[in-house]
Amino acid sequence: MSVFIQFVFLGLTLGAVYSVFATSLVGVYAATGIVNFAQGSVALWAAYTVAALRTDGTLVLPFGGSLRFGDVTSPMPMVLAVVVGVLSAGLLALLAHLLVFRPLRSAPPLANVAASVGLMLFLQALVVLRFDTDALFAQPVLPFKTFTLGNVVVNASDLIMGGTAVLVALLLWAYFRLTTTGVATRAASEDELAARLVGFSPDRLAAVVWVVTAMASGLIVVLGAYTIGLDPTSYTYYVVPALAVALVGRLTSFGVACAAGLLMGAFQAVLLWANTLEWWPSWAQAGLGDAIPFVVVVIALFVLGGKIPARGALTQVAMPEVRIPRLRPLPVAGVVGLAALAIALTSDSWRFGIVTSLILSLIALSLVLLTGYLGQISLASMAFAGTAGFTLSKATTEWHVPFPISIVLSAGLATLLGVGVGIPALRIRGAQLAVVTLAAAFAIQSFVFNNPSFTPYSGNLIGTPNLFGLDLSVRRGTDLITLRFSMLVLVVVTTTTLVVMRWMAGSTGRSFLAVRSNERAAASVGINVAATKLLGFALSAFLSGVAGCLIGYSRGQLSAASFSVVAGLSLLAIAYCGGITSVGGALVAGFIGPLGVFYVFLNQTLDLGQYYQVISAGGLLLMAVTNPVGAAGANAEMLRRLRRRRSEHSSTSARTPTVAPAKGLTSKVETHV
Amino acid sequence: MNAAATAAPALSVKGITVGYQGVPAVRDLSFEVHPGEILALLGPNGAGKTTTLLASVGALPVMSGQISALGAPIDRRIERTSRRGLALVPDSRGVFRQLRVQENLALSKRRGGPPVESVFDHFPKLKTLLRQTCGNLSGGEQQMLALGKVMLQEPKVLLIDELSMGLSPIAVQDILPRLRAIATEQAIAVVLVEQHIDLALAIADTSLVLHHGRVALAGPAERLRRDRQLVEAAYFGTTESNHQPQMERR
Repeated sequence: MSVFIQFVFLGLTLGAVYSVFATSLVGVYAATGIVNFAQGSVALWAAYTVAALRTDGTLVLPFGGSLRFGDVTSPMPMVLAVVVGVLSAGLLALLAHLLVFRPLRSAPPLANVAASVGLMLFLQALVVLRFDTDALFAQPVLPFKTFTLGNVVVNASDLIMGGTAVLVALLLWAYFRLTTTGVATRAASEDELAARLVGFSPDRLAAVVWVVTAMASGLIVVLGAYTIGLDPTSYTYYVVPALAVALVGRLTSFGVACAAGLLMGAFQAVLLWANTLEWWPSWAQAGLGDAIPFVVVVIALFVLGGKIPARGALTQVAMPEVRIPRLRPLPVAGVVGLAALAIALTSDSWRFGIVTSLILSLIALSLVLLTGYLGQISLASMAFAGTAGFTLSKATTEWHVPFPISIVLSAGLATLLGVGVGIPALRIRGAQLAVVTLAAAFAIQSFVFNNPSFTPYSGNLIGTPNLFGLDLSVRRGTDLITLRFSMLVLVVVTTTTLVVMRWMAGSTGRSFLAVRSNERAAASVGINVAATKLLGFALSAFLSGVAGCLIGYSRGQLSAASFSVVAGLSLLAIAYCGGITSVGGALVAGFIGPLGVFYVFLNQTLDLGQYYQVISAGGLLLMAVTNPVGAAGANAEMLRRLRRRRSEHSSTSARTPTVAPAKGLTSKVETHV
Repeated sequence: MNAAATAAPALSVKGITVGYQGVPAVRDLSFEVHPGEILALLGPNGAGKTTTLLASVGALPVMSGQISALGAPIDRRIERTSRRGLALVPDSRGVFRQLRVQENLALSKRRGGPPVESVFDHFPKLKTLLRQTCGNLSGGEQQMLALGKVMLQEPKVLLIDELSMGLSPIAVQDILPRLRAIATEQAIAVVLVEQHIDLALAIADTSLVLHHGRVALAGPAERLRRDRQLVEAAYFGTTESNHQPQMERR
């Protein structure tokens, strides 16, 4: 029992990080209605700033050079370094507010999700570029003292971390409850115009919360980095468990978020201890701790039910406009012919980039279907692809399932998983659904893809595809990627895309759009909303699954890295900016997506491969801010303007300027006149 | 009220055209309101009444024309305009449903302005509701809170959008005369958008009927009170062309 309690205390440090992140997320949500996925990466920047200052006194700036405040023998003093680090987090958050989130104030929720995911990826990539992450280590900030409580040895630092977390929650609570500006912040999140009419600027109130929460998150990471360890990925993704616990508190309760965060940390620590027990099953030894957030989220949102208050704003902008795809033979043949030509004329890494882009566009298409058409934000597409990929490995090497059936089987399994992940969507929507699917993606990545019980370290080989004796394998001799395989991918992607376009243009697409725009109205005209949503998740997961199989065949061997959550996140963000509501947007997303043509171009032609994430995430942010309805929306708008201008040109003589509306047509009889 | 009318206007709207996404909803509208005066802004649904009020506080940009209040032009910084003494009670009432009554009032309290307790002189019932969450109040109570809140802001120009929305006619009968008293007492210039034409005209000094974003009728409230046919014609838009030349402007 005492060992158990020991681990509970050890978990306090991690729990404190979750807790402060969670209360910060609650604060930002209360002030802006934004679920800030970048909370962790902002804090990560603070932690590395302190580490660099403490190592040799270098103050790394996000861009340009860096300043020196000492050297290896006399680095910056601890307290000063911590202050500078915490301030840097506050400054980054202020910049994010001014440059990204304020311009997006009246944009669709999905634009905010895309932007905050973009910011998260951008900052993380920036940390890796700007800091020497391999050489920098966190140095202890908190005292090393231990003392005994009963028969348990407790680190003073763990207690200080826990205490800080509670203090942060308490201060945030007091700010929002007891101060006029805090109350005004809550008021502004309920009704922006009304708050302005009373004399408060929602922008300024939001800026305060952005800065304060970023500084709190930065501080807790700086304090805990020595105990937890410093690396550029983990803190970025601590936002997932933090979101999970924030959701337990309905994104409104600081107290619940704080307590749940501490508990989650303790629970994960206890799981570590459980791994050492004899009776603990081997399959549960890896990734279970990362699967917990998903369980917590599902329980918090689905089982406990209840509503999370949405933000009211001056102007409610709907989802980006949809253009119903029309199957016109000529353009389709043109695009397919172009792709075939590109494949035929290239070889090796360029051809591989093209094929990867084709496959990615299929995953992006699954997002267009689910997010663009059905309005359900899913961040788990890569997890579906991965599930299919790993199933394919088992199907081809162990169960010897022949080629086309193997894809159907694997994608079918992904479909089942998709339906499972889609069930929470029956109760929740918007950014909260994004959190659930993200938690699901992490759970699947850690618990399945990274779990040696399911996917052995020795590698997940995939059998070569054969069709009627025709060898369709990806490699032959020194040929990195064969023409036959590339054409196979082209055929599969083209056929599925055409089938999906047909659906989108038909009654399925119509019911999707109806559910997207108004679930109640859709239900009132006889659309089964629940079934439609699940169908959307199923179709989307199936498409991702097919793409996952193609990825599998194209690599010949799979690892968890092939289907990382990050890749899925960037793909969604790219798809959003490319145009989440059109098939063309999916093609654009595939083109820009990770390891696609754009990556090959950066890597091979410009030799800038290491900047890929910064460039794509930065471009993404820029796109999200300048075109909150997505590039396809902007293109459509431009086309419409051009058409209008042309029609005005051609018919100036025919049209007479009509100023007054037709009389009598629109006058409504008011009963109480 | 004639004495007040000779002073400089508190709110002056000159030839504004306002709309949404480049499509005008109100065209070439002009009016003035003087301290202590109530203007009843009337018209059927979609006439442009709310649009006019939103533009008057700077919540909507004007496509052309000028609006100035209390001696300075209106810009888009609503919060600053509000602190200068221009107040709007929007049709959503502008109360924060998730906050308590006392929190709602505290937000409107101005430094050096009247104390929160002064609201209870006009609306004694609010005193018993201070700790209630605003969303739990009845429509009439919320309306009292909306007016009480706005009084704390010490407005010199007060724009009210559909005070009667969701209220029983009896409650409206109670609340409008009180507004009349406050406006006269504190020399507030009021623009009142109302669906209850008779009730509004009963307390207004001047009136203006909008139809399809244009002025269909304008004149002293008394004249409209007497001649109901004129108002009805304006509501149905039949005066739009016929009566335009004779339309009275102050």
